Amino acid sequence: MSEVTVRKTPDGMKGFLFTLPALAWLATFFAAPLLAMIVISLRDSATGQIGIGNFTRIFMEKSYESALLNSVALTATVTVASLLLAYPLAYSIVTVLSRRMQRVALTFAVLPFWTSYVVRSYAWLLVLAPTGFLNRLLLALGLIHTHLRLAYTPTATEIGFVHFFIMLDTLTIYASLVQINPRLALAARDLGASSLRTFLTVTLPLSVPGIAVGAFLTIVLCLGDYVTPQILGGMRAIVLPQTVMMQIQKHLDLPMASAMSLVLTLIMALAYLGLRRFLDAGERSR
Amino acid sequence: MNILSLRRALSWKGLGLLYMLACYGFIFLPVIVLVLFSFQDGRLPVPPFHGPTLFWYGEVLANSRLVAAMGNSFLVGVGSSLLSLVLGFLAAYGLARYRLRGRSLIRGFLVLPMAVSYLIVGMGLLVMASWAHIAPSLWLVGISHVVINMPLAFALCAAQFSETQARIEMAAGDLGASLPRILLQVTVPMMAPTLIAAFILCFTLSWDEFLSAFLLSRFEITLPVAIWGILRGGLNPQTNAIGSLVFFGVVALALIAEALLFRKKKNSA
Amino acid sequence: MTRCRPSLRALLASSLFILTPMAAHAADATLNVLTWCDHEDPSLLAPFEKAHNVKVHFKDIDSTGAALAVIGQSQPGDWDVLVLDETDTPRLAEMGLLAPLDPTAFPTADFFPGIDSPKLSSFNGKTYAVPEKFGYNTVAYNSTVLSAAAMSDIQAPWKAEYKDRIAIYDYYVPIVAYTALALGKNPATLSDADLPAIRTKLSELRHNAALVGDVTTTQQALATGQVDILVGGGEWVTAGMAKDRPNLTYLIPTQGGVRWQQGLAVFAGSQKKDLAVAFAQYILTPEAQGKLATSSCYWGMPANSKAVLKDEDKKLLQWDMQPSYIARTATYLQMTPAFDKTLQKLWTEVMQNE
Repeated sequence: MSEVTVRKTPDGMKGFLFTLPALAWLATFFAAPLLAMIVISLRDSATGQIGIGNFTRIFMEKSYESALLNSVALTATVTVASLLLAYPLAYSIVTVLSRRMQRVALTFAVLPFWTSYVVRSYAWLLVLAPTGFLNRLLLALGLIHTHLRLAYTPTATEIGFVHFFIMLDTLTIYASLVQINPRLALAARDLGASSLRTFLTVTLPLSVPGIAVGAFLTIVLCLGDYVTPQILGGMRAIVLPQTVMMQIQKHLDLPMASAMSLVLTLIMALAYLGLRRFLDAGERSR
Repeated sequence: MNILSLRRALSWKGLGLLYMLACYGFIFLPVIVLVLFSFQDGRLPVPPFHGPTLFWYGEVLANSRLVAAMGNSFLVGVGSSLLSLVLGFLAAYGLARYRLRGRSLIRGFLVLPMAVSYLIVGMGLLVMASWAHIAPSLWLVGISHVVINMPLAFALCAAQFSETQARIEMAAGDLGASLPRILLQVTVPMMAPTLIAAFILCFTLSWDEFLSAFLLSRFEITLPVAIWGILRGGLNPQTNAIGSLVFFGVVALALIAEALLFRKKKNSA
Repeated sequence: MTRCRPSLRALLASSLFILTPMAAHAADATLNVLTWCDHEDPSLLAPFEKAHNVKVHFKDIDSTGAALAVIGQSQPGDWDVLVLDETDTPRLAEMGLLAPLDPTAFPTADFFPGIDSPKLSSFNGKTYAVPEKFGYNTVAYNSTVLSAAAMSDIQAPWKAEYKDRIAIYDYYVPIVAYTALALGKNPATLSDADLPAIRTKLSELRHNAALVGDVTTTQQALATGQVDILVGGGEWVTAGMAKDRPNLTYLIPTQGGVRWQQGLAVFAGSQKKDLAVAFAQYILTPEAQGKLATSSCYWGMPANSKAVLKDEDKKLLQWDMQPSYIARTATYLQMTPAFDKTLQKLWTEVMQNE
C-alpha cells in the first residue's frame, strides 16, 4: 500500500495535464456561459440600464413571485411524497425478496424510465383524463360517482413528478439499505429492541445517505423541469421554468430569463448546502 | 421460531408484497396506456379503445422528420457520450494516479454541472451563443450534453480506480510500456465494464434530453424536440407509436447490455 | 476482458460512419422557412422541393413572439420565408425584417373577398405579406350536450351553468379581442382605458374555466370530454378530428368573433428572394392550398377560393358560411410594442392567478 503511494509520482504537472481537457471544456462551455448569464441578467432589457432590477422584479412582481413560490412548494411536496412512497418500496424489496428477485424487482422498477420523458408526461394525460383509464377504473369500482378532475391541474403535475421520482428514490434508498449489515438489526433485536425501535434507531439512520441523495436529485431535477408542468399542469400554478421559457420565447427577454435561471440555481445551491452533511456522510461511508 | 411470529412474519411479508404490487401498478400505468393506444384504430389516442392496428407505426416510420430526428439523436448521443467518456476518464485517471495540488477543488468543479439543471446549462450556452452570433445547431446540443454527462462519466470512472490497478499499470511501466500504451492496453481493458456502463448511461440521458436540445437546435432537431413538435400540433397516435418504439428499443438495448456485463462478471469471477 | 475491445472499436467505427452523412447534408440547396406547424407535411413540400431541386428546412413557431425570438438568435440571411399572423406584418416591416412583395405575382383575384386587406399586409404603401390561410377563434363546443342556439350568445362561456366545462386557448391576442367583443367594445380601437374592464371580464372567464392551455391541451380536453367548450376554438381544432369526434363543432356567435389570418412574407435579408417568392406562389396554388387547408397539424380555410378540396372536407370547414363569417369577424389586434407588452402582462397575471 505505502509502496504504491510513494510511487505515485509527485509530478503534479503531468496529472494536471490529464484533467486539463475536462477542466477546459467545463470552463468554456459551463463556467463562461454561467458568467455571461450573470452579466446579462444585470441589464434591464427595456431601459438598457445596469442594475439588479431584474432580480428585484422576481421578488416584487406578483406573477413572478407566485411562480417562484409555486416552484418551491411543488418541489417540496414532490420530494417528500416521493420519499414517503419510495422508502417502503425499497424496504419491501430488501426485506421480502431474495437477492435474485431483488435484482429483477429493481430492473422492473426502472423500466418506465426508458420511455421518452416528453412522452411519459403525455401518457399521464391519457391516464388522468375524465374518460381516461383511472377515472374509468375508479368509477367501475364504485369508489367515485363522478369524474375526478385530474388532468391539467397542479395535482397532475405532482403525480407525473412523483411517478418519476419514486423510481429514482427507490434506487438510491435501495442502494443504502442493501449495504446495511443485517447483523446490526439482529443485534438490536437480540438486545430486546422492538422491531419498530430497531427500524428507527438502526435501519433508518443508516439509510439516510440514500434518502439524501434521492432528495437532492429530486430537488434539482424537479425545480428545473419545464416539460411536466407544461404538459400536465393546465397553466395553473405556473412554475419558474415555465416563466423562463416564456421570457425566452414570447417576451424575448434573455436578461430576465437569465435572472430567473440564476435564482433557480441559487435555490438548488441552498438545497445542496442544507443536505451536504448527509450527502458527505454517504461519501465517507463508501 | 414459533407459530405466532411466523404468522406475523408472513403477514408483514404479505403487506410488503401487496405494497410492491400497488407501486408497480402505479409505475407501469402510463406505459401500459401509452403502448395500448399506440395500436388505436382512429385519429385520437384516447379511450375508448377501438381495436388494434399497426397503422401509426407505419406512419412514424414514413415520417421523414421523425426518422431524421432519431438519426440526429443517435449522432448526438454517441458523439457526446464518447467525448464525455474520454474527458471524464482522463480526468479521473489524472486525479487517481498523480498527487495534485487542489485536487478537491478540481474534483468539485468537475462534478458541479450535476448540481444544476439542464435548463441552466442550456440557457447559459444560449446566452453565450447569441452573444457570439453562433447559430443554434446540433453541435451546440452535443456540447451541452457533454457538459451534462461528462461529470457523470468522471464520477463513475473515479469510483472504479483502485490500488490494484495502479500496481498492474506500474508493472507494465516497469516492463517498458509507454504511458499511452499502458492506458490503452492495460487501464482501458481493466475498466471496460465501467466504461461501457458509463457510455450507456450517458447515451440514454443524451437521447432523452429535451430542454437544452430545444433551446439550442434549429433545423436538425433531436427526437424529444420532434416529439414535442408533434405534441404541440394536437393529439396524434403517432406520439404513442414513437414513444412505444423508443421504449421497446431502449429496453432491448438495456437487456443486451445487462446480459453482456453480467456474463462478463461471471467470466472474470 | 479482451472480448470487450472489439465491441468498443466497433462502436467508434460506427459512430464515425454515422457522422459522415451530416456533412453531406449541408451541401444541398436549401430554403429556410420559419413557420407554424401546418406547413411541414412532406406531401405539401415535396412537389416544390422536386420542382426547384431544393430542400425546405423549417423551424416551428407558435406565435410572432416566438418568431422574433428565433430571429433574434439568427444572422440576417439565415431565413428566407416567414409564415406569420398577418396582423403583425406592419410591425415587422417597420423593423426592417421583411422584403416588399409584388402583389400582382399572386392570385389575389381568387382570394375570398374581404381577406386581402392592405391594412394587414402593407406598410407605407408597400405590400409585405400575402394571405394564405385563415380561420376563427370563437367557440368550439360539444354538440351532443350543448345546442348551437345556446352557444351563439357570446356571453355563454361566462355563464355559471358551464363552470369548469370550459377551456381557454392560451393565446392572449384573440382571447382579449373576443373578451372585448363580449363587452360590446370594438377590438380594433382598444386602448389602455379599456383594460380595467377587460381584466375583470377575463378574470371572470378564467374563474369559470377548467383550464388554459396550448393546442394539444385544449384539443385533448375537448376530445376526452374534460370540457365541452373551448374559448378561442374554431375549425383549426375541430375539423381535423371530425372523423373521430363528429360531435365537436364551432360557430361564430351573433355578436361576432375573431378571425386569424396567416400570411406569407419574405425576409429582407434573404439571399434567395426569388426562390422565396416562388415558394409563396407555390403555397397559393389550388393544389397546395388544399393540402395546407387539411394539414395534419391543423386545418383552416385556404385563402384561395379555388383550392382543391373534397366536398366532405369543405363541409367540415363550413365553406358555404365563409362570406357571412368573414363579414362578422374582426382580425387580430394591431398593437404598438408597448401595448402588446401591457396585454401580455395582463394575460399572464389573470391566467395564472385564478
